Formats: sequence, structure tokens, C-alpha cells
Amino acid sequence: MNKRNEIRVGIDVGGTFTDLVLVDDRTKTTIFGKELTSQDDPSRSMLEGLQKLLDAHGVAWTDVANIVHATTLVTNAIIERKGTKVGLITTRGFRDVLEIGNETRYELYDLSFEKPAPLVARQLRLEVSERIGVDGGVITPLDESDVAAAAGVLRGHSVEAVAVCLLHGYRNPSHEQQIAAQLRNLLPGVPVTLSSEIAPVIREYERSNTASANAYVQPIVDQYLTELEAGLFRRGFDGAVHLMLSAGGLTSLDTAKKQPIHLIESGPAAGAIAAGYFSRLVDAPNLISFDMGGTTAKMCLLRNGTPERSTEFEAARVQRFKKGSGLPLKVPVIDLIEIGAGGGSIARVDAMGLLKVGPESASSSPGPVCYNRGGGEPTVTDADLMLGYLSPDYFLGGELQLDIAAVRNAVKEKIAEPLGMDITGAAAGIHEIVNETMASATRMYLTEKGEDPSDYTLLAFGGAGPVHAYGLAKSLGISKIIVPPGAGVMSALGLLTAAPACDLARGYIGQLSAVDWKTVNDLFADMEREAQVLLSELGVAWEDVVQVRSADMRFIGQGFEISSPLPAEELGEHQIARIQDDFIDAYEARFGRRVDGVGIEALTWRLHVCIPQREENLAFATSGKAGEALKGHRQALFEGSGFVDCAVYERSRLTAGSKIAGPAIIEERESTTIVGPDAVVDVDTHFNLSMNISKAV
Amino acid sequence: MSLTSNSAINGVNLEILWSRLISIADEAATALRRTAFSTIVRESNDFAVTILDENAAAVAENTIGVPAFLGVLPRAVKSLLQEIPIEEWNEGDCIVTNDPWLGAGHLPDLVMASPIFLQGRLVGFCATVAHLPDIGGVIFSADCKDFFEEGTRILPTKFMIRGKENAEVARFIRGNVRLPDMVIRDIYAQVAAHRVVAQGVQKFLCRSGFPNLSSISQALHERADTAMRAAIAKLPDGEYRSVVTADGYDDKQTEIHCCIRIEGSNLDIDYTGTSPQIDRGLNSVFNYTYAYTVYPLKCALDPITPHNDGSYRSVTINSPLGSILNPRFPAPCNARQLTGQLLAGAIYKCLALIVPDKVIAESGTAPTLRAVFSGADDTGKRFSQMLMCSGGMGASAHRDGHSCTPFPTNTGSGSIEAFEGLAPLLVRRKELVSGSGGDGKRRGGLGQEVEIEVTGSAAVNMSLMADRILNPAQGLQGGGTGRPVSVSLASGRTLHPKARTTLLPGDRLTLRYGGGGGFGNPAERSKADIRNDIENDYITAAEHMLAEISSDKK
Repeated sequence: MNKRNEIRVGIDVGGTFTDLVLVDDRTKTTIFGKELTSQDDPSRSMLEGLQKLLDAHGVAWTDVANIVHATTLVTNAIIERKGTKVGLITTRGFRDVLEIGNETRYELYDLSFEKPAPLVARQLRLEVSERIGVDGGVITPLDESDVAAAAGVLRGHSVEAVAVCLLHGYRNPSHEQQIAAQLRNLLPGVPVTLSSEIAPVIREYERSNTASANAYVQPIVDQYLTELEAGLFRRGFDGAVHLMLSAGGLTSLDTAKKQPIHLIESGPAAGAIAAGYFSRLVDAPNLISFDMGGTTAKMCLLRNGTPERSTEFEAARVQRFKKGSGLPLKVPVIDLIEIGAGGGSIARVDAMGLLKVGPESASSSPGPVCYNRGGGEPTVTDADLMLGYLSPDYFLGGELQLDIAAVRNAVKEKIAEPLGMDITGAAAGIHEIVNETMASATRMYLTEKGEDPSDYTLLAFGGAGPVHAYGLAKSLGISKIIVPPGAGVMSALGLLTAAPACDLARGYIGQLSAVDWKTVNDLFADMEREAQVLLSELGVAWEDVVQVRSADMRFIGQGFEISSPLPAEELGEHQIARIQDDFIDAYEARFGRRVDGVGIEALTWRLHVCIPQREENLAFATSGKAGEALKGHRQALFEGSGFVDCAVYERSRLTAGSKIAGPAIIEERESTTIVGPDAVVDVDTHFNLSMNISKAV
Repeated sequence: MSLTSNSAINGVNLEILWSRLISIADEAATALRRTAFSTIVRESNDFAVTILDENAAAVAENTIGVPAFLGVLPRAVKSLLQEIPIEEWNEGDCIVTNDPWLGAGHLPDLVMASPIFLQGRLVGFCATVAHLPDIGGVIFSADCKDFFEEGTRILPTKFMIRGKENAEVARFIRGNVRLPDMVIRDIYAQVAAHRVVAQGVQKFLCRSGFPNLSSISQALHERADTAMRAAIAKLPDGEYRSVVTADGYDDKQTEIHCCIRIEGSNLDIDYTGTSPQIDRGLNSVFNYTYAYTVYPLKCALDPITPHNDGSYRSVTINSPLGSILNPRFPAPCNARQLTGQLLAGAIYKCLALIVPDKVIAESGTAPTLRAVFSGADDTGKRFSQMLMCSGGMGASAHRDGHSCTPFPTNTGSGSIEAFEGLAPLLVRRKELVSGSGGDGKRRGGLGQEVEIEVTGSAAVNMSLMADRILNPAQGLQGGGTGRPVSVSLASGRTLHPKARTTLLPGDRLTLRYGGGGGFGNPAERSKADIRNDIENDYITAAEHMLAEISSDKK
């Protein structure tokens, strides 16, 4: 029996939880699992969790066709600086690129702010005589004796991986390649990352960082994936293992081992891919996915059902929510924003006597005051409990009894008294301020893209997402909210709806009127060959793929580029007018302003290859259980209405076609959906809660 | 309007009201940055957006700004109201000026102000300032002897009249700048920001039910004032003095005399004794002096509270008229940064006498070292590129100074690969200068050395704006001095540090950015820090030994 596309499993290993989803295409069932991540060896909780899921579904390891995996291993290794000892070889005169960075202060007023330490210490950054010019020509040939000397120093320091980044190496990789060839003999068995392979794009600081970061995590990722593969095969699994890339595509184990830095945002990317699935399912092409957990809220914009993508990412920020405090990498990623606003965000009164919420979080330990686990600082979850949004008796399905008396005391002492107001007002203030924080960050994120939030649908998930979606939507002028089922395992779901894809780039600077089109065509041919190899490892037939070409272009004199489409054919002078027009259109779409008559240049040429989105139909078994859905009433506070009586429903008993008029509260194990007095919820055939707000301001 | 409405101003609704107003300013800033063509606006955030109440007091500013514009816009709007009576400000008007004395201290910065009306009533103002891509005159340089050489001055005038372009003014500007299309487009980027603010404020007032912005601004100012006063009150009363010497022009060094008087919760800064204004572009117009006085104070005394006009109510500044810190019109002032950016060092030297743990030693890039290159490449393509690099930051009681980090300004460097793509110049080296940070318990940040070769067959024009060649960044509390700035040519030809000059094909220019001053007694530096410095060649072992010998002798 051919088991292709029959049983598929998605596994998202996060820092705290490992989420699993199993889809059986024969019986059209989707089941979920959640395990605590085993910190010493994440593959253990992963294998145990999968075993449980297989047992529950009554199938064997051999029945599984495909496993798709997302992991926080890469991002955590860089944040915690638990990577390997890395050496960097670079052009003479430029070993400090990695340390000098972009020479800015991300924090304007704090005189003792910290900068991220470079991934490679100065003594392990070694220079070789060579120089390539901006046009790719060799100005100074490579001195091989310098490479030998550098290898000697690196051997002496027992480095476990080496990165090579030469000036203009993106334009002419020959010196980097020569160094790699020499190192294979001089340092056998030590993996080498070339900047011209991992990120062949202009800007030496970001490219060096990317190459260094890849080298930094490569040995540990290699070991982890090798052991995981062995563990799976020992249990009898003989299907394919794929990994989620930061840009939302899938890749093979072998490629992941060579280019592990592309896994850095695999979990969040999977969440955005899942949002894309629901966007198509409910036919809401313009969507903001809103994932609010204990510490952060993540927003991702989807246009035409596709998450926005970016070509850079900042890793391991010294201050998590401060742009510029991390290590900038040139890697394709899903473009999302992370805000310091979650259920655990702490409320406090500042020196000006103003109420502030977050970004500090009580996270899961000690947690909010209401958990009664030693948390003394009032949090968003505590405020939500006081406002009646959460039930003290049904948190995590009742597993955790919430202590409302402790919350009242803490809010009174820490917030209400210093502000001179009553405790309900203080709690309402916390709820409203955290919503305002998320709303203004979302507005900025959309404004930068020239979009208006009121044209969008909000897809809410995460433990706190459905609690705050109504208030957030009101603040953003959004009138429609979708709360999908399986909101607690969205990323794992995304793994099963993703498709193989790869994103490649080549750097070559030229004014459009003077570009050597043969060079450009050769670059694209080269990228196509590479894509063909990468995708064939995933079993993709080349005739099925879709290719999207683009270039990062700018007006001459400007310091920033935007992505602009290119025709998917042999390029030449006859297309210059069309390419220019497309760029001017793209510029206008992004910046709202048409600019004509200024020269245009391209810096980076990009190829995105994917297979068209296949039709997915995940059937959820978690909803529509028998029994009366209405389980009681309680008071909750709403803007302009004060405390009002709300009907409380059990989500798992709601049936497709049900209609619930607000004010109402819909509870499930992992979250609670708040329905305002001016909102109505429809349960659709896929068990999504679809909320329409009538008076969105 | 909210869960927390129906009450007087309190700590909850004020936070929400204020963050909404800041969010409007940020959206306007995004609109400005998005639509501006100028690289300096986009990459260096060299612009600001402020929302003011109907009395021209600032309520909210965009979040990411540069210190140079701190407090400038409320002062500018008040000046504009004196020039053009309020009765003549109509809905849809945008009044502009680049007068350095009314605005941001040099001609490239264009100030724009507009009134905001709601149902026919004046409810507030919007003001923006942005660095234009060109303003005529010479290129960015320090050596003009005459203000009128520095560019075209636009006295307060309406660029927009009731929502329509004042075509004569636009035509006048076009006729006086090198890049007329880009300049006009950038002015429209400011207009776009003003529209966002006007609409945002109108909607905000309708939703919140407040008749205008002044009740909110008063509450905010009082709270910011209280926070700053609390910080000042913790300082011991008294008079604290410092003198900072700069290289000045040719053989005329300049001096900044700073006296901080603290009395209860008031802080007065007096620059009496500072050098008289000079006939080169180093003069810091008072608005710029103001900005670079309050910025370092805010960093040292109250870095956490978001600032507004109220933050500086307790601060008075006296800068003698006719000095380099308050020059009379028409003093040249194009390179005002060479003077204004020294103020942080002068102020911190005073504060170090009482609260040394709150300040940093002098920085190698206070003021910045700038080189502007222009000319044409071998294909005839014209270029004009500024190299934006930094020296080391001064050390503090808490940590070593950051290497190659700007202070008090905050303009980042670009990529060398990108730089080489824009000009026929080859960067041979860009590396930390070992031993350039002042020694101390905490070491000053290292400076860097950049070597640039002219690779084309044509000569290249260069404007240098450099200081700290004779007067390197000083340390605090026994910390050593950072290495000085230097500018040199491999050919041996001497370069004037503050002049326009020509580089010849094959010339190799070396710019050495200064190190930051150290903090505290070098003998107290930990063994681990010294070992790390030596292992990574931040200092040489020989230098360390010399330092030890000299400290033993003490």
C-alpha cells in the first residue's frame, strides 16, 4: 500500500512545550498533542509525544509517511551563546567588521546600554591578503600562505567551525572558495561556512554575521538532527523528515545541516503558514494573525493569504523588544512583529504616576498573582480575571484554580492606591493599556506597509489572544475576528500545510541601463540549478514548480532597497523599461509616492521557487461534542456598558451553524473568547468562531 | 471613550491619551520617512514630528528622534507665531523656514508648522523638521566665512495656503537648489506628515471628548516636571564648573565654559566665559545649544521618563549672546556640530564632581569627524558621499566605553561595500585602533582607522570637518585620555582639518577616529579585564606594562 500523503505529523519544539499534530488523510482526522519539552534532550519529549499520538490513533511508526519539524534550537543557541567555538577568516584590514557593527545606539537615553557581543572573539578573527573590487574584479590576489597561517592559529585554538567572509565576496566568490578548498586539507572535518553561499548579498557586517552565526550553530544542529533521524529510524519510521525554514518553506535534513541558520525562525514561520491556511479556509485573504501568549504578542500581516516576507532578521536581541539591539542577519524570514504584551505582562506605576504594562513579564514562573505560585506583581491575566473575562474555576479546563482575592489585594496595593482609583478601574486600565500597546504597534507595522488595519480580519490565537481580540479589534477599527480551533497548536498545524520552497539570492550591483544582462542571466541559471538540487531532495518534480524572480532595487543615491518583480524569462535590454516601471510601481505601492526620472540600480537578484499551495482539508475532531453548550452566566466589564451579564459557553460543545449574540464568553481548555455586547459569533462548518462587530469605531 | 472614561485625568487615562498621541506622531513620522527621498532622513532618522497644544506647548513627539532636534520645534513654533500673527494661520496652511536662528541651527534643516482646527476652533499645532537633500550654497563644510555662502535662507513663509501649494514659494526654492525635484518631494513628505497629525488629532479629540490638547499637555508637563525636579533635588546644591577646549579654527582654539548651579530642584547652566563667535561655520545657534544641553542632562538625570516640554522647566540655560554657543546673525553655522556636540562633555565634567556614577567620560566622536567626497567617476557619473564613522564612547563607572559608537549624536555608519559602489574610492582598511581608548578602571571605547584610496582617474573634492586633533577626549575620575583624531595623506601633503580640499588620483587618505576617555583609576582595572584586553589586542601588552610601571611610580 502506498502510504504517501496518508499519515503526516507536524512537530513544533518550543522552549516550554512541544506541540504535535497528526493528520490521517484516509480517515480525515486531525489530532493534537502537547508535551513539556525535555530540556536536556528535546528529541526525547518529541519521540515520546509522537509515540502517544500514534498509540491514541492506533497506528504504527511505519504508517507515518512524513514528519515536518520546527525547532527553537538555533535561536536559543545564539541567545544563550551555547554555540561552538568559531573562527572567522576575512579580508586584511577588515577583521573588526563583526565588532564595529553598524555604529549606532539603539537606546538613546541609557548611557550604559549593552551591545551584543560578536559571535567570534577578536583573536579568532583572522585576516588574509586579498581584495576584490565592487565590480567583482580581483584587485589583490589571495595569498595562500596567509590562509595556511590562519588555519594554524585556528587549529591552535581548537575551533570547531570556520566562517569565511571576504569583502565583495557576494560578487565574486572565487577567493572564498579557494580558502574553503585549502581549509578542507588544513582543517579536515571542520565545517566551513562561506558568506558567498549562505548570504551572497551586499553589506559586509550583516553577511559576516550570517556566516558566523551559521558556523556557530552548525555542529550542534548537525548532531541534533543526526541523532533525531537515528532515533526515528530505530523506531521503525522510514518516511521523510522535513524542516520548516524561517521563510515558511520546507527543506531536507541534509540542507538543514549545511545551512542551519535558515531554521532560526522556524516556529514563528509555521504559525504564519497556519494563518495562511485559515485565511484560505474562511476566505479572508487580508488577515492579521494575532498570537498572544504569556510574554509576547506576535502580529503577522497576510495579503492575499500569503504572509509578508523579509530578507533580514535580527537575532538574539540584548533587549528583546528593542529594535537594533541584536545581531542583524541576511536571511529570508516571515516578516512578523513581536510586542512585549502577554498574559504575564506586569503592570506598574512609573515615576510620572502613569500606569505602564509590560514588557517585563511574570511569564509562567512565578506567573500572575492569581496562579498563587509566588507572583506578587499584578499582570494582564490578573486584570482579565477581575474583569470577569476569565473564570477562576475553568483556567486550563479547571486544572488551575485562580485566586481572585489575592489579585484584588495586589491590584489595590500596587496599582489602585498609588493612582488613587478603585480596583476595578485599575484592572480595566491594565486591560486597556495592554490593548493600546498592541494596537499602536500593529498600526505602525501596517502603516510602514501602507495598509489600514480596518481593511483586515483579525485571526486570534494563543492563550490570551481570544481574550483580547475583541478590545484590540475595537481599537484598530477591525470588524471581523476569527478564532480557529486548535489555537494552542497553531505552529504545528502550519507545518502540515507548508510546501517545499527555497529562496536564493545573488549580489551584483548595476544601474539598470548599464547592467550586463548576460551576467544576470547566468546568476539566475546558477540559482535555478541550485534550486533544482535542493527541491529534488524533497521529491519535488521540477516541472511542478513555480518560480518567482525579483531584485532588490533602489533609486541611485538612496541607501535602502525595495523588492521589485522581474519577468520570469531570459532578461535583456529590451525589458529595461518594463523592469523600471515595475520598480516605480512597487515604490509607489510601498511609499505612496511616484518618482520618475531618477536612475535605478539593482543590488541583489532573488529567486523564490515553490510548488503551488495544495488543497488542504484538515478535519478537527475537537469540536462539536455532545451536550449543552451554555454552561452558565457571569458578569464581565465592557466599554460603555459597565458590568453586564454574559452567557458562558463551552466551545467544544458548540455545533456548526450556532449563533451567539454578545455579550458572551466562550471557554475552551486553552483559551477564552470574549464577545462584546455589539458583536455576534457564528460557528462555521470548520468550527471556527467567526465574530462580527457591528459598531467598530 | 473607554473602560476608564467618565473621570478626570488620572494615571490610567493619561497614559492611554498620551500613548495615542505619541502613536499619531509616530504614524506621521512613518509617513514622512516613507515618502521622503533623502537618505539622511531615512537612514539617520534626521527628522522630528511634534504635536503641540493650542498654546504651542509640546504634547507628544515621535519616538525615534535625534538629539539635535530635542526641544527645537516648540521653540520654533513660538518664534513663527511672533513672525506671523495667529490670525493669519488658516486651516491647511503650512509655514516653513530654514532660518538657523528660528529653527534647527543650520540651513539644510527645514522647519514646517501648521495649525490644527476642529469645527473652526484652533485646537493645536503640528510641527516637523527634516534635513533636506540640498539647500544650495556650498557643500556641507566648516570653512565658509560668510553665512550667505552656506545656502539659501527661507524666512517664514507659507509653503501651503489652505491646502494648496504656494506656487511662487515652490518655484523660488526650486530655483535655488541642486536637486529641485527631490527637495520639493521631501517638503511634501513633511506636508504628508502634517496631514496625518491633523486628522489624527481631530479624531482623537472627537473620541476622547476633550475640547483641545492643553488640559492633557498641562497634566503631562506637570508630571514630567515633577520627575525631573525629583532627580535634580537629589543632587547637592552648589556651583560646579568645567572648561572644555576645542581645536577651533586654524590657530584659534575655542573654549566652552560651563557652570552648573543647583538650588533645590532647579538647575541652571551658564556658559559665560565661552569663546566669542568666530567667522567660520562652527557657531552653534542657541536652539542647537539648547538641544545638546538638555539631551545629556536627560540621559544622566532622568533617562527613563519619556520627555516633553515639562522635562526641562526646572532647567535654565544662559548662553552669552555673541558667543560660539549663541552667535548673532549672520554668523556662519553650517558645521555647528563641531561646537554643540562638545557640550555633553562639559556638562558631564561638572556633574562628575557630584554624581560620577551617572555620567560618562568624553567621547572620541563628540564632535563627529566627517569627510564628504564629491566629484565624477570615470564614466562621468556624479557622486557625493559622506563617510559616517565613529570613534569610541567614553567609559562610565559601570562599563567600558563602546568602541566606534557615536555620542551624543546617533548617526550610524553604512556598509563599506555599498560606499564603494557609490564613489570611485577604495577602502583599504577599517579597523579598531589598539590602545586608543583612554585607560582607567573602565577603559574608553576604541577609535578606528579608515584608509581610503582614490581609484578613479579624476581628482575628488573633499570637505573635512574634524576636531579633537589637539584636544582628545578626556577621562573622568582619574581615567586617561583617549587617542586624538588625525587626518593624513600617504603622500605626506598636510590636510587642513576643517577645509575643502582636493584629493588626487592614487592619494591615500587615513582618517583616525578618536578613542573615548577612560573612567576611574587604571590601577583598579581587574586582571580579567586586562587579560581580555591583551588577548584581543584592545591594548598591547607593552602598553599595559608601561601603564603598570607608571602607576607603580605614583
